[in-house]
Amino acid sequence: MSPNPRKWLRAAFSALESLCSRVFTPEWNPLLQLGALGWFFFWVVAVSGIYLYVFFDTGITRAYDTIESLTHVQPWAGGVMRSLHRYASDGLVIIVLTHLSREFALDQMRGKRWFAWITGLPLLMLIYVSGITGYWLVWDVMAQYVAVTTGELLDVLPLFGEPISRNFVNEASLSSRFFTLMSFMHIAAPLLLLLFMWIHIHRHTAARIQPARGLGVVVLVSLLLLSIVVPAVSQPRANLDLVPATIGLDWFYLPAYPLVQHWGGAAVWKLFGGTLLLLGLLPWLPRKRSPPVAQVSLLNCNGCGRCVADCPYGALSLEPRSDWQNYASEAVVNADRCLSCGLCVGACPTATPFRTASTFTAGIELPQLPLAPLREQLKKSCAALKGDDRLVIFACEYAGKLDAEFGRNATVAQLPCVGMLPPAFIDFVFSRHLADGVVIAGCTANGCFQRFGQRWTEERIAGERDPWLRARAPRSRIALSWAADLGAFRKGLASLPPLRLTDRGAPKPAPMPAGPRWPLPVRAAGIVLLLGVLAGATAAFATKPAWRQLEPDEAVVRLSIRHATAAKVECKPLTPQQMAELKPNMRRPVDCPRERWPVYLELERDGQVLYSGTHQPSGLWNDGAASVFRTFRIPAGPQSIVLRMRDSERESGFDHVRSGTIDLKPGQNFVIEFRSDEGFVWR
Amino acid sequence: MNLIAWRDEFAIGLPDVDHEHRELIAMINALHESLGPDTAVEQIVAALGEIHARIAAHFALEEREMRNLKYVSLAEHKDDHERLLDDILDIMDTVESPRDYAPEALGARLSKWFTGHFRTHDSRLHRWLAGRS
Repeated sequence: MSPNPRKWLRAAFSALESLCSRVFTPEWNPLLQLGALGWFFFWVVAVSGIYLYVFFDTGITRAYDTIESLTHVQPWAGGVMRSLHRYASDGLVIIVLTHLSREFALDQMRGKRWFAWITGLPLLMLIYVSGITGYWLVWDVMAQYVAVTTGELLDVLPLFGEPISRNFVNEASLSSRFFTLMSFMHIAAPLLLLLFMWIHIHRHTAARIQPARGLGVVVLVSLLLLSIVVPAVSQPRANLDLVPATIGLDWFYLPAYPLVQHWGGAAVWKLFGGTLLLLGLLPWLPRKRSPPVAQVSLLNCNGCGRCVADCPYGALSLEPRSDWQNYASEAVVNADRCLSCGLCVGACPTATPFRTASTFTAGIELPQLPLAPLREQLKKSCAALKGDDRLVIFACEYAGKLDAEFGRNATVAQLPCVGMLPPAFIDFVFSRHLADGVVIAGCTANGCFQRFGQRWTEERIAGERDPWLRARAPRSRIALSWAADLGAFRKGLASLPPLRLTDRGAPKPAPMPAGPRWPLPVRAAGIVLLLGVLAGATAAFATKPAWRQLEPDEAVVRLSIRHATAAKVECKPLTPQQMAELKPNMRRPVDCPRERWPVYLELERDGQVLYSGTHQPSGLWNDGAASVFRTFRIPAGPQSIVLRMRDSERESGFDHVRSGTIDLKPGQNFVIEFRSDEGFVWR
Repeated sequence: MNLIAWRDEFAIGLPDVDHEHRELIAMINALHESLGPDTAVEQIVAALGEIHARIAAHFALEEREMRNLKYVSLAEHKDDHERLLDDILDIMDTVESPRDYAPEALGARLSKWFTGHFRTHDSRLHRWLAGRS
């Protein structure tokens, strides 16, 4: 069989999750609340960003200075805020990519769960747009690199009339306008991001958007510490007349930028497009077979709405009654959202095994697992248990098919999720003496695959959520197991003492032994170590390793030409007769066809043609200026160059020629332009 | 004769809830009528099981209405619902254990079980609803 990346990833996540649950406790386990952490980091970035914006000057000449003064004049506030802004943005990328990988590993994005996955893709793009425009605003050498490379990347697309890159060709061409546009985009993109974040969680009932408070505090403190110990600083001020040989890159946001230089913009767009397409298709690759969805039995449904309240996926709603019964509403299943988890069955007040009529139907049931046969099966398999300490294990299907070999006098009933078990079944087991104890075994603590199975189960047993487990069912005879995996469950079960009626008044069931707990100092040290490693990695990859875009003895020559050539056909006066033939509103004394001549351009260095090409005028009618923007890396030192241009009807020879020897300094940005009155201009 | 006769005080003014009150009374009366010296225990238990399920659903609906209306005594009313649900299961257990079961006492116990709640909690809800409108 071919290696299955999803399986490996799942195993890796499972191991990491159980480690994190031991270190952080399940309530604080960051891997079990990645989405909520994403929201948290977003707010940290937003709040720190608002602070920075108060002091920021959106003009390009002052931008660098205002950020420098924030960093150095008020390091205790502006400096910390700036560092928080950067590190929380990097953290957001780490969290979002982990979130995405985990949903993929757990296969929580396929089939009917496509919605959150697909709406997550624009989030991913908007996070990158926010980050890239943000780095632009600092206007240091990395910003310069970002501006120039983004220009190159965007110019591949047939979107802009003339190359964006011409805005950043040298200091003289620089305008505050474009820069102001960037600061607008840096605000607009996160606002859009927020809108999409809201859409992203739209189908999740009570989506979690706040991490556990303690975890939030610990994470914020780590970010603050990181900001104080390794403050974020600017690199040298941008100077478009020079090309910095090496730049510190934020590898969380800019990993694809070096590829632009290596492969060219078109290839990088193909990579983006391909990745996005693949991600977009993943929910249907391969197509997921969905089990039958929950079914409402109107004869047993009075529209009490408990199933609606308990559905984790917003798949149920109360709608006006459609039958003859004198009720106002009925539960309706949205088949496109129902994941057949059965939590609605566990919530239904009519789902009780005490209905002894040979067949009974609850108000809502899963067609593949009706309750009446489940009860009969339970009675039968319990009858086979003899002796003391007979256990019924209600387990979820998440861990796979369970065999009955647990070294205990036990029988197993598996459900899609433990939340499907109506509490009345537990009461039934005890009151009919079917077994001596009930074990409820679900997913790892705080990590229910069906979101609320564990919580609803615990709350129903504790009488905090409907339907309550009846008071007479002794809690001391119930054990709840939220084990990390099957091995842990077996161990826990083996060490579980016989479930006896010890204390009729016990309000809560015994938690199943979940292995030895690590002492607090060990866990605290673990938290410090794990967050320290993460913080260290964040700080390191936010600037290192430095990217060398130019060898030390190289310079850059840029052809940045925009030239409106003469019209192909000269204007000629129309005769009165010709004018009369035209429609009244189109009559004009002179006819001027607008099409212009194309530009043919050659650049020669040391007798070798470095570049040659023909460029059509822009515009639908070929009546605009032709633009050329090309970048060449050339060894520094004296170079003899020749530039030739043909911009008229002639088919050979040239209209404009300039040759000369230039002395390129290392790292120089040598720009060649063309002006209609002066011809080729360089400096 | 019916065990429980419908009385206007059983109507609290919520159409869904009143409809169910009538249905439940009809179910209890039907069970009472079927009770005789030879009635099989299974049959009684089955009927009680259905009454139990219906009444559990009824309470759920009534609680939803009360929650929507922000009824002030919701907590006490719900506690009484939960107590009644405990009780009917105990009644069912009694019927199933031959030692404790006395057919003639069952009707009286059911009637008391059902109407007691009407007299207290449901009528309080009724008065609150009337005062509200």
